[in-house]
Amino acid sequence: MFKHTLALFAAALSIISVNAFADNAADIEVEQPYVREVPPGAMATGSFMTLTNMSDQDIQLVQAKSNAAKKVELHTHVHDNGVMKMRQIPAIKIPADGQAHLKPGGLHIMLIGLQDGIQAGQTIEMTLVFKDGSEKSISMPVKSVMSHSGHMMSH
Amino acid sequence: MKKFIFFTVLLGIVIGLFILAWPFSQQNSEQTTAHLILNDKPVGGDFTLKSAQGPVSLSDFNDKLVLVYFGYTFCPDICPTNLGNLALAYRQLSEDEKAKLQILFVSVDSNRDTPQRLKQYADYFNSGIIGLTGSKAELDDIVNRYGVVYMIHQEDPKDEHYSVDHSAFTYVITPGGELATQLPHATSPDDFVKTIRTYLTQTQP
Ligand SMILES: [Cu+2]
Repeated sequence: MFKHTLALFAAALSIISVNAFADNAADIEVEQPYVREVPPGAMATGSFMTLTNMSDQDIQLVQAKSNAAKKVELHTHVHDNGVMKMRQIPAIKIPADGQAHLKPGGLHIMLIGLQDGIQAGQTIEMTLVFKDGSEKSISMPVKSVMSHSGHMMSH
Repeated sequence: MKKFIFFTVLLGIVIGLFILAWPFSQQNSEQTTAHLILNDKPVGGDFTLKSAQGPVSLSDFNDKLVLVYFGYTFCPDICPTNLGNLALAYRQLSEDEKAKLQILFVSVDSNRDTPQRLKQYADYFNSGIIGLTGSKAELDDIVNRYGVVYMIHQEDPKDEHYSVDHSAFTYVITPGGELATQLPHATSPDDFVKTIRTYLTQTQP
């Protein structure tokens, strides 16, 4: 029995070590990232994107960094009987050969304590950190919440 | 070497258990607000709150259709989505329709949302929105009557970046002040326009 269990753990370990040699960042493709413009004086905003995993292993996004805000956190929204609860989460899983959708009302990367000037037309730099420690830099346009009408807000 | 492998395996198990246990521990600490939603139709009714221009009452707009949304300006996503959709709807209205409509944004986070800050926030949407807030007692009276649920989610009392759980309905109040219906979160701009027009024509003299 013990031998059996040990074999199982060894198998599990081998998967872990395979992962350690993989480069998560290289296996992730980031599509259409953007940061949402917020009204002047607002303290926080969200950033959204689609992450595609081109490997056959699940990949975890564990952190995001940006100079545009004091704090950057991974968040999700939980809809509970009509109540919207926003919660920080430790990681966002991008399933093997699959996608994670960061979109309004759900998963997002939250920028808290904004430095001045998150306005449509600007570009925000962000670094995504994956579980194996690899990093990916992305540039995101800032978009107005009302931009899908085709009329950008003027300031 | 054997010892090393054993230790690594052990570490793996501990990490694995931790990951498995995580969602459960989170769930347990968060099962607080959800059961407060009223099943009865909310009664609504008049209220008076503070704006940057002084006190504003619902009954000040007795000749208009009023849409009321409850939220807070720190909200990175839910409130901007809803107010953004309302703003897009507003742009589709004729001048005549705009004149007969008032949108109110009530912040349930009066600790951070001063009337001045709310004005700046509401003006951004360019839809004549008035930002309002009040004391906790004033807000609680209103949210009870409208069936709004909110709860400040602050684990550390010193954390100034706390979030607020809140229901995200848009309340439709007909001219005269009667609560007619509520629209769900992320109602599309077109659906807002449809509802606004329905209630405006219903109440034509
Ligand atoms: Cu968030």
